[in-house]
Amino acid sequence: MQVTLWGTRGSLAAPGPETARYGGNTSCVGVRGREGTVLVLDAGTGIRRLGATLGASVRRVDVLLTHLHMDHIQGLGFFAPLYRPDVEISIWGPASSRLSLRERLMRYLSPPLFPVSLRELPCNITLHEVPCGDVDIGEFRVSSALVCHPGPTVGYRIADACGTVLTYLPDHEPALGASAFPSLPRAWTSGGSLAAESDLLIHDSQYDAHQYLRHVGWGHSSLRHMLDFGTLSEVKHLIPFHHDPGHTDDDLDRLMGEAIADAKPGYRVTPGQEGATFEL
Amino acid sequence: MPASKSIQIILARQLASCVAAPILLVDAEGALVYYNEPAEAIFNQRFDETGEMAAGEWTARFAAMDDDRNPIPAEERPMMRAITKGHPVSQTIWLRRSDGDWRHLHVTAFPLIGERDTLLGAMSIFWEI
Repeated sequence: MQVTLWGTRGSLAAPGPETARYGGNTSCVGVRGREGTVLVLDAGTGIRRLGATLGASVRRVDVLLTHLHMDHIQGLGFFAPLYRPDVEISIWGPASSRLSLRERLMRYLSPPLFPVSLRELPCNITLHEVPCGDVDIGEFRVSSALVCHPGPTVGYRIADACGTVLTYLPDHEPALGASAFPSLPRAWTSGGSLAAESDLLIHDSQYDAHQYLRHVGWGHSSLRHMLDFGTLSEVKHLIPFHHDPGHTDDDLDRLMGEAIADAKPGYRVTPGQEGATFEL
Repeated sequence: MPASKSIQIILARQLASCVAAPILLVDAEGALVYYNEPAEAIFNQRFDETGEMAAGEWTARFAAMDDDRNPIPAEERPMMRAITKGHPVSQTIWLRRSDGDWRHLHVTAFPLIGERDTLLGAMSIFWEI
């Protein structure tokens, strides 16, 4: 599979010269399979550029939303395939305990927040509430599970027929409530089963250690927690993702360098940069 | 995908590990998956020593009687009723510790129900009378 980062920023788009290298668009990752399956992980502002790269031959796109916070859905209305009647789009995401995925999405995709309503879109659109289990999408087996983040939030584990695994946990606080992290085995850690022995893990890295202490319970990880989670999960390659909008490129270089030097992970770490592509 | 606990059970354990009230957690089959330090004091048994236990095992290890000192069958214990009935249960019971001593407890058990009304397990909070 081919994995491309179209938006690596968390919380709020942060365009500007000081963020040009890591990127200012919010969460969006494109996944393409060898047989042509197209998955889009989250619909942050990065999805607009992704949409522009999908050729006329693409007839089906599956958009997998981890949750419905604004930074993960804001680009949805600007995803070009939504306006093509010849395209079949499936949107997957979590319902809440009281509202369906459609009802929750309509809160954004309807006036006054957005001029076009979900039902007015010309594409053939289907909404699926994620089953928190396994589902086959094209050539991929997609597993999902609720993870530690405010509101209904899932992570995704995407496996191809060769057994190659990508795990996507952009908003995730596995250390919440732990006196020391990690202190429990993987089965008792949020996201542990999703990330286990992944070939590539894309994971929340929003805070430095000091910031995290002021944001416990906000649903995000410190860089150190992310690296320790990668070790616990025995991943092969980790992509720090969902960068804090207040962190400049220089900040991220320094913070990642310090965290990696301190944790000394036994696997490869490549800080997530907008536009980066990984072949698995 | 490798088996893992649900996020609700994981968070329930984290909550239990941070509070002073004795708490016990079971999964949807009634298997004991965790009890916290205050509960350890009542059971006279550390969780690390027992680990997770099947329903039949933990209900036998920690036998229970009602206020009239009649044995409570495993399926009638508050935790099991919370699972099978799907609603909270409160009851006073006598519980046998690991050293054979009996303690009089007030137990409140309630089911943990997740998305799509999926039963995930149950939590009981109890204290000595």
